[in-house]
Amino acid sequence: MSELAGSLLQPMLKASEKDLSGGTIASVVITGICVVFIGLIILILCVTVYGKAFDAINKKKAAAQKAEQEAKAKENAAKVAPSPAPAPAAPVVEDGIEEEIVAVITAAIAAMGASSGKKLALRSISTAKGSRNAWAAAGVAENTRPF
Amino acid sequence: MGIIDSFLETMGDLASESGFAGFLEAGGWKNIVMILISFLFMYLAIAKGFEPLLLLPISFGMLLTNLPFAEMYHPEYWEYLENVQERTGELNSHYIDYGRILQHGGLLDILYMGVKLQIYPPLIFLGIGAMTDFGPLIANPKSFLLGAAAQGGIFFTFIGAALLGMTAAECGSIAIIGGADGPTAIYVSSKLLSKTDSIGVGTIALAAYTYMALVPIIQPPIMRALTTKKERSVVMGQLRQVSKIEKLIFPILVTVIISLMVPSAAPLVGMLMFGNLLKESGCCDRIAKTAQNELMNIITIFLGASVGATTRADKILTLSFGKVILLGVIAFSIGTACGVLLGKLMYIISGKTINPLIGSAGVSAVPMAARVSQKVGQEEVPTNYLLMHAMGPNVAGVIGSAVAAGVLLSIVQV
Repeated sequence: MSELAGSLLQPMLKASEKDLSGGTIASVVITGICVVFIGLIILILCVTVYGKAFDAINKKKAAAQKAEQEAKAKENAAKVAPSPAPAPAAPVVEDGIEEEIVAVITAAIAAMGASSGKKLALRSISTAKGSRNAWAAAGVAENTRPF
Repeated sequence: MGIIDSFLETMGDLASESGFAGFLEAGGWKNIVMILISFLFMYLAIAKGFEPLLLLPISFGMLLTNLPFAEMYHPEYWEYLENVQERTGELNSHYIDYGRILQHGGLLDILYMGVKLQIYPPLIFLGIGAMTDFGPLIANPKSFLLGAAAQGGIFFTFIGAALLGMTAAECGSIAIIGGADGPTAIYVSSKLLSKTDSIGVGTIALAAYTYMALVPIIQPPIMRALTTKKERSVVMGQLRQVSKIEKLIFPILVTVIISLMVPSAAPLVGMLMFGNLLKESGCCDRIAKTAQNELMNIITIFLGASVGATTRADKILTLSFGKVILLGVIAFSIGTACGVLLGKLMYIISGKTINPLIGSAGVSAVPMAARVSQKVGQEEVPTNYLLMHAMGPNVAGVIGSAVAAGVLLSIVQV
């Protein structure tokens, strides 16, 4: 394969050559299109093959995980009968914090809980004393992260 | 009286040395034309938003270089010295005296070295790689075919240029415009063109970037003409999820395969994939960020200004410029058409599940060409999202045009 490509890619033309003959032009065009297609088709083959391979591995893993989870769920269901969850208490909110802020904080915590699979509760919201404001804290974090 | 005489004399000298006098010299009117053109480009960049990040530096470089006696760029320094004996004893007919440029060159001469030595285009590719997500291409590898087909414009334009009696170097440089990839066009043309050619790198770069900016205007009519309403209405399903490890292997794989096959494409493909690996690895965020932002911006400024500087009136206002503009738009249109036609073929073979509109995105103007596919598709079915499907051929087009550039460079001997 590489020999073929090598022989195709032998320099054929001088840069200063003028009035190229029909044959030369045709060979440039055919070589060019062929090499581009061959190169990209090889890539297609490789990508398809490894794509399939990883897909298969991932599916296996996912299937194994699912089976494990189901088994665990069954065990848990057998062990503890689900008791009704206590009604959630409303969080204690310090004066001066707007409702929108409370909503945002609650949503963020709910999202965190959802991603880790835990159930989180918000008990109170108050301003921290003597701390930097959010922007300053973000700035410090950004500047010190690499170290 | 002596004081007044010497005063008048000095003033006279100053006037004759000023740029205004330069306009009155033979051919000085051409500089005025070029300065007016640079104003037009500035207007297009600022008021119309045509690729302003490139067009503005290019137009300002154009202005600077066409001011008489400003001496920021010297075309004469960049002419090849014929048959210089190298240390090995061989005669080199493509020799540039870089020592002279470093000693006497202006700012833009120094910056232009990055173009002539092919430093900027691979660095821009590094940044593009760090910004590109090859996920859609890995999810649907068939997109590679569309990216390859759209390079057809490059080779068909080679025929056109050759029929107009241009040199092999000129044919290659004009043809590469069809790849719709500015850095690649600059890379190829700066390698091939010499002083015996009637066009320069600046001309090629200007044409390439102009057409890239005109993608949303040139492509849609061709796409509509070549497809039926039914084909354009095909709704494509969701792409599969691509795992991180696949994204990591991809750049390494492409670099190895393409560089082994077409070694002269290695600088472009290699840097593109290096940038992508930095991004996908997730452990080099700082470097990846620099490649995407700061480095890319710096190179864009250097490249734009120095390419603009090569558009000296005496070099560019020639008949060949008209030929480049004409052949460039043909190259671009054929590239789009080839992509759409292969898209149609895939539509038939795939049992009408592939929308041929994504074929036009095979030209490598990222991500503009993909957006055009999306827009034209939505004209038929407003809920159809072709963007991610079109990104596949689009990024494949970047790889494809780098390969095509490598092929041209190997065929045409400098």
